[in-house]
Amino acid sequence: MRESTTKGPVLNPALDPRDRLRMERAFVLPRARFLLGLPIAAAVLLWSFVGAEFDFAKLGEGAVNMGGFLGQMFPPTWDKLGTIVTLLIETLQMAIVGTVLGTVLSLIVAFGASSNIAPKWLYYPTRWLMNIIRSLPDLVFALMFVSAVGLGPFAGILAMTIGSIGSIGKIFAEAMEAVDRGPVTAMQAVGASKRQTVQYGILPQSSPMLVSYTLLLFEGNVRGATILGMVGAGGIGLELTTAMRMYDYGHLSAIVICIIVLVTVIDQASAVIRRKIT
Amino acid sequence: MTNSIMPDETRQPAATSTPTRSAAAEPAAPTTEEMLLHLPLASVKDLTVSYGNGPVVLDGVDLDLYPGEMVALLGSSGSGKSTLMKSLTGFAPIDSGSVRAVGCDMRNLRRGQLREVRASVGQVFQNFNLVGRLSVLTNVLTGALHQAGPINLLGGFTSADRKRALELLERVGIAHKAKDEARSLSGGQQQRVAIARALMQRPKLILADEPVASLDPKMAHSVLELLHSIAREDGIPVLVSLHVLPLALQHSDRIVGLRHGRVLVSAPTDQLAAEDLADIYASDEEESDVDA
Repeated sequence: MRESTTKGPVLNPALDPRDRLRMERAFVLPRARFLLGLPIAAAVLLWSFVGAEFDFAKLGEGAVNMGGFLGQMFPPTWDKLGTIVTLLIETLQMAIVGTVLGTVLSLIVAFGASSNIAPKWLYYPTRWLMNIIRSLPDLVFALMFVSAVGLGPFAGILAMTIGSIGSIGKIFAEAMEAVDRGPVTAMQAVGASKRQTVQYGILPQSSPMLVSYTLLLFEGNVRGATILGMVGAGGIGLELTTAMRMYDYGHLSAIVICIIVLVTVIDQASAVIRRKIT
Repeated sequence: MTNSIMPDETRQPAATSTPTRSAAAEPAAPTTEEMLLHLPLASVKDLTVSYGNGPVVLDGVDLDLYPGEMVALLGSSGSGKSTLMKSLTGFAPIDSGSVRAVGCDMRNLRRGQLREVRASVGQVFQNFNLVGRLSVLTNVLTGALHQAGPINLLGGFTSADRKRALELLERVGIAHKAKDEARSLSGGQQQRVAIARALMQRPKLILADEPVASLDPKMAHSVLELLHSIAREDGIPVLVSLHVLPLALQHSDRIVGLRHGRVLVSAPTDQLAAEDLADIYASDEEESDVDA
């Protein structure tokens, strides 16, 4: 076959014979980097197990005590059901307010953290801010706000709101970055402003993901509110901690069952909403 | 050496109707309307484009687009068709030469001016670029975003805009789908919505970058006929890039062929046959054989 001497794109370049041979084999040997990476990954995992004192034998021995603990929790005592329901409602209210405020703030921050929306001078500082917030546990925020505004659900709401910026803000930004470029190009092509491009090109495309992550945040906040309560930030958490300290296992069991029911109901409702929006 | 059919300097725009008059009569002075018909709405002169330190994508390209004509842009992949279109909307860097679109020099435009130019140029894309989750009507209305008033801050459009969008959907034959989500439409229907969106801009020029590449032949004819009718009836020049020669020969008033970033053919369609266009898609080896 005659070789082309003209310049220009090669329309039908040949496949490297070594690649062809490799692709035709029924069984392909793993690449060197995989063979090298596998023992490294295994070593890191083993190192972590040892460092974290993970011990299957101890788990087996402790299973008996765990069974005893669970046995003490039954039967649950329902004489304080009214208190539990009241505190669960407070927990739910905290989660609702925390989620709404957290979502709004996260969305605002996410605009600054999306590379396809924000200029570089805004993008990087916003990402750093989110990294700092994400590296702090919600309990730290709860303690900080308890000392600032006193004991009660308000401190919990503030902790949830700020905490969600780090986690959900990042996910919002990545959902907005992942949208199809085509409609965004079309918006720019019709002469739309930045705000209009975001409003009509980016948000409608990312809205299913944004709603889905908001529901996830809400579910997380309901569970999180029970933990925040332990440091005095309102909700059912304080009652849960008190029952544990007082060895009131029947009451503790009733609280846990109520939390499970609430979280399951929210999870099912979220699933229905997700199905509707996607 | 390849055959080149170069532009006819004395061409008449396709939509121009020349009044008949007796040979003895004094030539009447042209009206303003007639004069405007002879002025190009987009004019590219000796344009050279390259991206960064990459190869030259367009090399000394000339192109004029006149009111009422549909110009088919032909060329193999990488020949510079899309870049030529992008240069008309400020999406491509201009190394040298000049580009004027809808009366504006495309070099050194400020952001606001660029937005104004883009708002005057309707664009139709290969992949339609509709927002799938928005309704067909809203997708068409986005064509009016550049002139949307304060009501748009709340996500709304005026009644006049909505009425016009529905009229345009009727024109492209898809008004019955106005409430549906754009993603539920077929490819041909989506492209009609995209054309309606472009018309919503009240464009002075329409650029269609491979608008039928992902459509079946029947739909392709239908979409190109629609674009051609817009050019004829509204006097809006339409530049459409295509890969299928019979479609270009059937649905254009003029054909411009690019090869390796240069204009190889530019002539009225009725003066061209398929064999005149064969060189545009000839492989480099074939060209080398001819040269030898």
